[in-house]
Amino acid sequence: MAALTVQQIQTLFGQEAEARLTRLNQLLLELEGAAQDEGLIRSVFREFHSLKGSSAVAGLDEVSLLAHELEGLVEDLRCGRRQVTPDVIDRLLAGVDRLGVVIAGSSGDGGDVGTVPPRIVITEAAPHREAHSTVGVTSPQRGGPARSLIPATPPVPTRHPPLGTPRADATDAAAGGAVMVQMERLDELVGLLGEAAAAHLRVGRMLKDRFGVDPASCAEFNELSRSVNVLQDRVMRTRMVPVGTITDQLHRAVRDIARTQGKDIRWQVEGSDTEMDRGVLNQLSDSLLHLVRNAVDHGIESPDERAGNKAAQGTIRLHARQLGSEVIIAVSDDGRGINTQLVRERATRLGIDTADLSGDETLQLIFRSGLSTTAFVTDVSGRGVGLDVVKTNIEAARGRIEIHSELGSGTEFRIVVPITLAVLRCLVVEAGGHRFALPFHRVVLSQAHDPSRVTEADGRAMVWVDDQPVTVSTLVHTLGISDNGPSVGPIVVLTDTARRHAFQVDRLVGQRDVVLKGLSRLLPHLPAVAGASIEPDGSIFVVLDPPGLIGRARQLKRAIVPPPRPDSRHGPRRRILVVDDALTVRELQRSILQRAGFDVRVAIDGLQALSKLADEPVDLVLTDIEMPNMDGFALTTAIRAHSTLSNIPVLILSSRSSEADRQRGLDVGADGYIIKSGFDESDLLAAVNRLLGATA
Amino acid sequence: MEAVLLPVGAEVYAVPMESVREVVADPLITTLATAPRLVLGLFNLRGQIVPLFDTAALLGIGAVGAVNFAVVLQTPHGLAALAATGLPQRVLLETMTGVSELPGTIGAYRLGRRVAVLLDLAALLTPGSPGGRDRDVALPEGPG
Repeated sequence: MAALTVQQIQTLFGQEAEARLTRLNQLLLELEGAAQDEGLIRSVFREFHSLKGSSAVAGLDEVSLLAHELEGLVEDLRCGRRQVTPDVIDRLLAGVDRLGVVIAGSSGDGGDVGTVPPRIVITEAAPHREAHSTVGVTSPQRGGPARSLIPATPPVPTRHPPLGTPRADATDAAAGGAVMVQMERLDELVGLLGEAAAAHLRVGRMLKDRFGVDPASCAEFNELSRSVNVLQDRVMRTRMVPVGTITDQLHRAVRDIARTQGKDIRWQVEGSDTEMDRGVLNQLSDSLLHLVRNAVDHGIESPDERAGNKAAQGTIRLHARQLGSEVIIAVSDDGRGINTQLVRERATRLGIDTADLSGDETLQLIFRSGLSTTAFVTDVSGRGVGLDVVKTNIEAARGRIEIHSELGSGTEFRIVVPITLAVLRCLVVEAGGHRFALPFHRVVLSQAHDPSRVTEADGRAMVWVDDQPVTVSTLVHTLGISDNGPSVGPIVVLTDTARRHAFQVDRLVGQRDVVLKGLSRLLPHLPAVAGASIEPDGSIFVVLDPPGLIGRARQLKRAIVPPPRPDSRHGPRRRILVVDDALTVRELQRSILQRAGFDVRVAIDGLQALSKLADEPVDLVLTDIEMPNMDGFALTTAIRAHSTLSNIPVLILSSRSSEADRQRGLDVGADGYIIKSGFDESDLLAAVNRLLGATA
Repeated sequence: MEAVLLPVGAEVYAVPMESVREVVADPLITTLATAPRLVLGLFNLRGQIVPLFDTAALLGIGAVGAVNFAVVLQTPHGLAALAATGLPQRVLLETMTGVSELPGTIGAYRLGRRVAVLLDLAALLTPGSPGGRDRDVALPEGPG
């Protein structure tokens, strides 16, 4: 075997150093909250020591010298000659940053560590770490005695490495048996597997068409089906990384800014083992960084402001969890909250009419370009971009962002994104005899076309959606396809970054997970078309691009949509009461059901649910089990015992998965029982529709 | 040169044999909404989505009407198909007998008592503007 060249050695060192520097960042942040942990100190020492040795082998003397100095500093900690203080952590973190810069400038391939092709660490055991740590309250000591290479000043908040790529913990992974794989190889695998799955479907069709064999009765074909399905699942999983791969960098940002501003902040992470597609997490990382910086800078008050009113120590919490096919990442703080009056004043100055806006609607204004940048950006938290950019980036990852804030109590930003971009969840509709798929993340809701809600303004037909007028067009006219006369079908409300627009279709067909294929480069650019997908039966349907579709509709010659004929098939919207004490779950369910065209009410526990039912009965109750005051079992029992409510279907959606709980649910009179961990949007809607006796 | 003939109504066009991947009879076409007239739609060729172009519209001589066959071409930009109204046949084109006037064509060849016009695929099928004309996506008129 030929010896490695110096360049190859340095490239290898670059890869090793990247993992070690990530590890050092983690260890030092942990050490700050556990200053007496000798094991942590030893781990830090080992990392610097290994870096020193490897860099010497790679001929990178400056790196080796710097690692040696840092190792010496840690040796002082190990021997008790020096205590772990925020200042010492500052110096060590700054040293790690400096190492990164020096290594980037001296890697063998002429590039830097950051240019190493993105790769992923596949490991059997995902790192699981729930972080709770505290950031020091003392102001940083600037201008201390300088040593030759180790910066004595604390790290400047804006200087630490960008979050661009989620990193895997190579050291942890190595313990579980891991191998580095280039991302493009995984992408290639996904593509090939898609082709294999398509070929598999064709073989099934050929068996039936040419040989008259039902593929489902063929053991070999079924075995192949199972293998292809398992393989698809496993390959998809290789692209998944835990959210924890970026939380250390967020922690570092919180810590550094808090130190600079003299704030005492507790950083808390829950659900760091929640996995999602690396590409999605990558797209979110800058937005998350923006939100946590915002929380430190604008959210958490200074110690003087908090004194007397709140705990001196502020808390910033990142909570990730999977719900169905989506991941929800909430960034919350217990700071001052957003002053909606201030938002109104600034919006008014920008010419926005805020007279009729509710508190929640006013809060949404901070995502508007101009307003977000004037009101909520500083050099620290904004880096020149506003929340409008955060929103745009999240929408580019097919996600959405929601905000809840209470003046004086704090703010929570909630990001909801699909677990993977490999498949696109779509609402399939029919218009003019054609089927079209609409990406679900752009669908606000669908509802029956209610003539009483239609009005005319500015030469266009409008419908009322959430008490806001929304322009409505017919999909067939927008797409320029022939129709079969006035439609009586439902309306689907779509959104782009800034606007909502309703489209009348002939009917809703259902939901579908779509593997989106781009169209040929030989075709002209079609802004309203995102691509196409092949159905299992070999037919093709076109996936529309809602922003392009909205743009096209707005360019159309203004024309009032003909009023629909009354049709007995479309009655009033069905009402569903969602009962859950967890805000996130409650709002997600509300969102899913509203988009499916239901009129949704919510309650936070069984007692409130009963009170609301007494005021206004609904067509179905969807309830959690574990809730304060009155749980889901008791609520179901009470509904069944009630003289006028006893016929309302009750569907339980719970994280309790035991057979005993399911049986108890049925015993008290529930009509269905869905387990949250396996919960899927389509399952929920199918169960709801079944209980309501609805047809798709 | 070896070529494949594409009957388009009463006329016959030809494409070089080396560009032809296969011929599909009676393809199941999915209309591509908002596309210009020269795009007849998309069809599924064993898992690949192939655009089908109206040969007559590409040449600016009307429309093919019924699509009985799709001649699938391998281009530097991926697969594409041209519509033919009659069965495409493999022939040997010998001496060019004259120039052709239509843009996107190379010349005319004699085939017994008929004339076949050889298509210039590189000129007809260019990324983003097939046919070099009619590329703009027309907005439909509203009903009012």
